[in-house]
Amino acid sequence: MAEETTVRQSFAARYRNFLLGALAVVLFFAAWQAVFLWVPFNPLFITKPSLIAAGYVDLIESGELFHDLAVSSVPFFLGLGAAVIIGVPLGILMGWRPRVGYALDPLMTIFYASPLVALAPLLVIFFGVGVWGKSIIVFTLSVFPFIFNAYAGVHAVDRLLINVVRSLGGGEWALYRKVIFPSVLPYIVAASRVAVGRALIAVLVGEFFAASEGIGFAISRFGDIFAMDRMFGCILTVMVIAVILTEGIRWAERAAFPWRVGR
Amino acid sequence: MTGYIQGRNVGLTFRPPNRAPVRALGGFDIEVEEGEFLSIVGPSGCGKSTFLSILLGLIHPDSGEVLMHGRRISGPGSDRAMVFQEFGLLPWRTVQHNIELGLELKKVPKEKRRAAAARLVSLVGLTGFEAHYPHELSGGMKQRVGLARALATDPEVLLMDEPFAALDAQTRDLMQVELLRIWREAKKTVLFVTHQIDEAIYLSDRVMVMSKRPGRAKRIFAIKLPRPREYEMRVTPEFNDLKLEIWNTLKDEIAA
Repeated sequence: MAEETTVRQSFAARYRNFLLGALAVVLFFAAWQAVFLWVPFNPLFITKPSLIAAGYVDLIESGELFHDLAVSSVPFFLGLGAAVIIGVPLGILMGWRPRVGYALDPLMTIFYASPLVALAPLLVIFFGVGVWGKSIIVFTLSVFPFIFNAYAGVHAVDRLLINVVRSLGGGEWALYRKVIFPSVLPYIVAASRVAVGRALIAVLVGEFFAASEGIGFAISRFGDIFAMDRMFGCILTVMVIAVILTEGIRWAERAAFPWRVGR
Repeated sequence: MTGYIQGRNVGLTFRPPNRAPVRALGGFDIEVEEGEFLSIVGPSGCGKSTFLSILLGLIHPDSGEVLMHGRRISGPGSDRAMVFQEFGLLPWRTVQHNIELGLELKKVPKEKRRAAAARLVSLVGLTGFEAHYPHELSGGMKQRVGLARALATDPEVLLMDEPFAALDAQTRDLMQVELLRIWREAKKTVLFVTHQIDEAIYLSDRVMVMSKRPGRAKRIFAIKLPRPREYEMRVTPEFNDLKLEIWNTLKDEIAA
């Protein structure tokens, strides 16, 4: 009997960690709703979950939300794609070619550490309010995690593996393909978790400054007309998307790198 | 007739930035015959591994030269392959793909690589583990992969840098027996660096004892014990006499 209970855990025991997290989320919204039983409620400045839910039904039924999300997703993916395509090779080059690293490290650190969001209005002036302007803002904010993680990844490459490939007659290009890139890949996936968050912020910021559609535009417009319920509905949607993307990458990380299981 | 591998006045000084230069190899001569099993023993830091890296062509001596077939070794070549102490397997590749690495780098077509890997997997006794990743293997199995990878490109010379040092004692004994079997079947020249005198005698035709840094060939012992060698040979008086003699040559070089 004792064996039976250890092998077959109850539902609660098996998903305990997940349930604890979910419980905290539910309690948070319950507390938010409950606090207005005692605190006076002014719908101009604040909202509560029951009203958000009601407004959310409207947002979905009118198709507004999906339209705005579709519009925003274009610069999100374009900017993020460009960040991978440019950031990863640049970071690898900085790591593998010491002179490139010494030359570019300070400059990149300055950019990474500075509040690039503040440059968004300038970028809008240069590149316009359309999809390209927004893509460039996304790129600017999300490229640095890729550069720095690829850079760090190259430094962690096992020198022995470099010698192995060299000793078997591999040249420079073979080193990149057979050792450096596969070693750096997990670092790039880790970078994309950070970059996705920054790219979401970048889309919103770009649309705050100048846009006529998109989820960021919707948030700022609902704010301007004091439609707090819809504004929060949009914000919560972005939060959920951020969580799904981040967790999705975490899951893909475990699935894609079976050799790291043993570490 | 010139030797198969000839080292003449091989010397090397490392010059690390901001530190005093280190004379690793003191300039010495060495001849290796085709098909022989030569072990190199010496105190830690005497340049044994450095000497193997020179033979491999990854680093170059700053005095003298090493010739193979009368030609100077100037870089890696498919006539030589190394088995590394820490295995050096690519963790994201399966056993099969690790073994195929050298062939891949030589642009050997896929079917030929498959066939060669399959033959080697059975030679080193890893049948059934082709699709395993290195982290799923024991130390002994990892080194079997390392050996198969080195043999895959069919080199004439195997360079082995303390290949069994990371293994436990029983696995090591077993791997020595296996290595002798593979050496007999594959007919390679082997240069084998080790810390263990037993291991060197048991495996080798000759044992070279190196001096402390800067390393030189201090003395070379011919091991005339009959082959094929059985494990029991290790407890014979002849074996122990050799062991004592080599130890006496080596101990002056070891600063404890």
